[in-house]
Amino acid sequence: MLKTLSRWRLGSQLLRSAAQTVRPASDASENSFAGPEDLPKKFVNPFSKPVPAASGAIEETKEDREKRLKVLQLEVDIAHQEGRRVPALSFMQDHHWEHVLTLPTKSARIKYFAYLWQIEMKKESEQRKRAQRAEDTQQRLAEVRKEREENTHIIYGLGHTSMFLRIYDSTINHWQNNRLTRAMQFAPKIVMDCSYDSHMNRREATYAAKQLMLCFAENRLNDEPFDLHFCNAQLEGSCMQGLKRFIPTMLNPEFPMNVHTQCFTELFPKQNLVYLTPHCREDLVTYNPDDIYIVGAMVDTMNNEPLSLAKAKRMGLRMARLPLDRYLQWGSGSGKSLTLNQMINIMLDLKNTGDWEAALKHVPRRKVVQGSEFQQRKERDSWSVGTRARKLNMRVDHLLDYVDDRRKVSSFETPKKLRERREGMEFQLDTWATGKQKKKQRNN
Amino acid sequence: MNNLRLLRHLQHVRYSKCLRWMASQHKRRPQLGQLPPDRLEQLRSDLFERRQELAGDEWLEVRRSLVDGHKHINTHNVDAVILGVCNKPSQLALAKNYVEFLRSQGSEPNAATLGRLLRVYNAAYHERPLSATEQAEILQICDTLQADHETLDASSCEHLIHGLVATNNDWQRALPLLQMVKITSTPSVAAYSALAGKAFSAEEQPENLDLAWRLLEEMASARKLPRCEVYLTLLDRLAKQPSQVPAQLRQLLQFLERHEILVSQRVAERLSKLAQQLPAHVLQAKVTQLGALGKCQACQQHLQPVAISDEQFRQLSECFLERVLIRSDVFQRSSPKEVTRFKKYVERTAPYDCVIDGLNVAYSTGTKKSPQQLAKLVATVVRHFREQDKRVLVLGREHMRNWSKQAMHYVQNNASLFLTSNLSQDDPFLLYATLRSGQDTDFFSRDLMRSHAFHLGPELKPIFRRWQQEHQFSLITQTQTGQIIVKEPIRHRLCAHEAADGTWHVPYCEAYTLNPTESFEVPAKWLCLKLRP
Repeated sequence: MLKTLSRWRLGSQLLRSAAQTVRPASDASENSFAGPEDLPKKFVNPFSKPVPAASGAIEETKEDREKRLKVLQLEVDIAHQEGRRVPALSFMQDHHWEHVLTLPTKSARIKYFAYLWQIEMKKESEQRKRAQRAEDTQQRLAEVRKEREENTHIIYGLGHTSMFLRIYDSTINHWQNNRLTRAMQFAPKIVMDCSYDSHMNRREATYAAKQLMLCFAENRLNDEPFDLHFCNAQLEGSCMQGLKRFIPTMLNPEFPMNVHTQCFTELFPKQNLVYLTPHCREDLVTYNPDDIYIVGAMVDTMNNEPLSLAKAKRMGLRMARLPLDRYLQWGSGSGKSLTLNQMINIMLDLKNTGDWEAALKHVPRRKVVQGSEFQQRKERDSWSVGTRARKLNMRVDHLLDYVDDRRKVSSFETPKKLRERREGMEFQLDTWATGKQKKKQRNN
Repeated sequence: MNNLRLLRHLQHVRYSKCLRWMASQHKRRPQLGQLPPDRLEQLRSDLFERRQELAGDEWLEVRRSLVDGHKHINTHNVDAVILGVCNKPSQLALAKNYVEFLRSQGSEPNAATLGRLLRVYNAAYHERPLSATEQAEILQICDTLQADHETLDASSCEHLIHGLVATNNDWQRALPLLQMVKITSTPSVAAYSALAGKAFSAEEQPENLDLAWRLLEEMASARKLPRCEVYLTLLDRLAKQPSQVPAQLRQLLQFLERHEILVSQRVAERLSKLAQQLPAHVLQAKVTQLGALGKCQACQQHLQPVAISDEQFRQLSECFLERVLIRSDVFQRSSPKEVTRFKKYVERTAPYDCVIDGLNVAYSTGTKKSPQQLAKLVATVVRHFREQDKRVLVLGREHMRNWSKQAMHYVQNNASLFLTSNLSQDDPFLLYATLRSGQDTDFFSRDLMRSHAFHLGPELKPIFRRWQQEHQFSLITQTQTGQIIVKEPIRHRLCAHEAADGTWHVPYCEAYTLNPTESFEVPAKWLCLKLRP
């Protein structure tokens, strides 16, 4: 990874030098191997769009750019002839080429082409299946039509005569939006800080956009939603553009989504803000409805730097992290990173119940219990799962929960009662299906 | 074939390990450019290895079976796939036969097919010199490919380079192609090595040698290691022209020293053979090992010290804080107030003899120890240096104040102590204090400092690594009795270098690897060379 990172830096050097000076491309690449000593000290994201140069130099770069584009198109063509994982030239469109021109190395291009190839193959197979299904539907419809001609009675069923009122998606949407507008007036606020566009590459930005969309959706679904604010939104950045693709009406005034370009410190008083970041030391113990919690809208698969911590320190805000270590046994599966919609779900449950155990149920199980341990349990206790266990009336759910005194636990112990009132539930053969009840029950 | 391999594995490997291995088999996806192994073997063994040519309808049959049998092979790429299968030197005739068949069908073979044909020519060239007609064919193909497009893409250029290298007189045409590759990507190790090897083995002209050395320099600056064949070609040429030996060999050894390259065992053996062929006053070579304190067993001399020059040291210490601690955002690793407080503290209490990374030392015997044991370990290390009457600075974090009071008081009384906030990274502070103290200060940590080496940039990284090798103590372990075992730094150089009297010591490794990882160990095998000046 170090080598690819250094190549990214050199690649951005190449792009910027092509934009700024009139040197031919081969010289630029030779000089860029001399080392990034003349790189400016600020962080240069190799995947951000290059800053437009002065207009005088643009003519030269256009030619260079055209030349490079042609060579890259030839590259795709030849790789396609060799049978590698690249899409056909006809599949690639302008915005694909835009992105390809920003990629710094050949290996990055190969990975992007493999991704496009997968999309192309899926599309083709989808088209084939759709054609097949259309045929089948035609056949089916023809049969049904034939049947109907012979039928003189009323037709019951979905789509015909039925007593059920059809509920449209828009009705549900209006109902949920109404909940959101009420939340905007009365509910506690949560802020999604969208200022990390420059630290994410394009793939991470699209993932972040999808997670933000899911945040909004799951917040809306809940009985008591938060008042969700998206602050520091750079509307021309790739994250927000992706979000607009998911929710096209995002910026309409009547749509109940708060998108702000200014920072949350300008909108809310500083003493109420708490930044949730995994890099700090203090756990969040109790949920305080007067505090406004901030979640950094960042997908940091490639980035290891504590960016949210740095931001909170610079602004002098309070910081907290979720008490994951205290309530969960973390497995060796994936790291301790949670997606944005999982965070929103956790905060929603925390607000509604105040119980961390219930809230942290939204952490995916594959991260929590170790995989092999789980499998070992399954394999060793073949008596405890499956139909045999059910017949022998063995229950294991209480075994898998954490119990204080493990000596009391045994496979054959009856668990807590599944139903509270068992009196009316016992099977009485005399009165079964007769409609009469024994006098004893009625007195109770 | 794949199934047989699976079965064999199942017999040898334990159950639990096998589960995980099987899981990875499921996730592993084969690269599409190659056929799945069993089908490849079948095609190769049935048809391609036995026959030198196939009739028209047999080729049609092969094509049809490939296109029908595989989802990813269609009429566009079946030609290149077939030529990819016949890539052995003995299958040159078969490959040409297929291309003729395509022409007889009326369809011109596409660019990828021709490129792969050039690769087959190259494979044949390594076994036997090519005839004049074959070379003419190669040139014809190159002309066809270059006529279509003004600028070619990287993979076509590499095919062309490999094809041209197989000819006798026209390999110079490959040089502008190398420049063409640089438009879209860096040229591969194979392309560079092929050209450099050809330049070394071509007829005697000093420009060829200079060209070869220029290519090698380019490769090494791009952090690509030249293949063994390049060195072997050079040594073969020197065997034929003994007059060139001192100058060229010296250039080779200086090249290895500058880029800190370890050659492979093949090259070392060839060097020894060369030394045996030449008279003793020109070149002598002996395989040797290193004794204690870097003493060569063959010539009984100590290796050169690894110290860096004062100028380099000054450069390192000036750039360090800026590049490693502050970088783009000082808040990621520390805060401005803390950096100024630390700088003032170091001004006050410098110079030191050793700077200790308190947390690294404390946790070196295990992370699950109690705070008393951790603090005692730090105190033991401080005592180790105190007994040698050395001035020590200990770095740590605020929470160390809550460790055992007795041990921390001992540390405070016998050393300088600086504690950063619990959220800051303490490694950059450690290195800054050591650099600030001067050339003689050592530091004590088990950390390999890889991220800091990277952030310094490719120019300062080798300087930093040499400085680190010279000054880093690390704690190995603590014995039962409470004594600590410390690993002293290696104070001699670990790459090819020259001693004062002209003896070269050259380390070498087992085999050539494409991307060797950084090794912090002393190489086991060395070659002691005496070269006439």
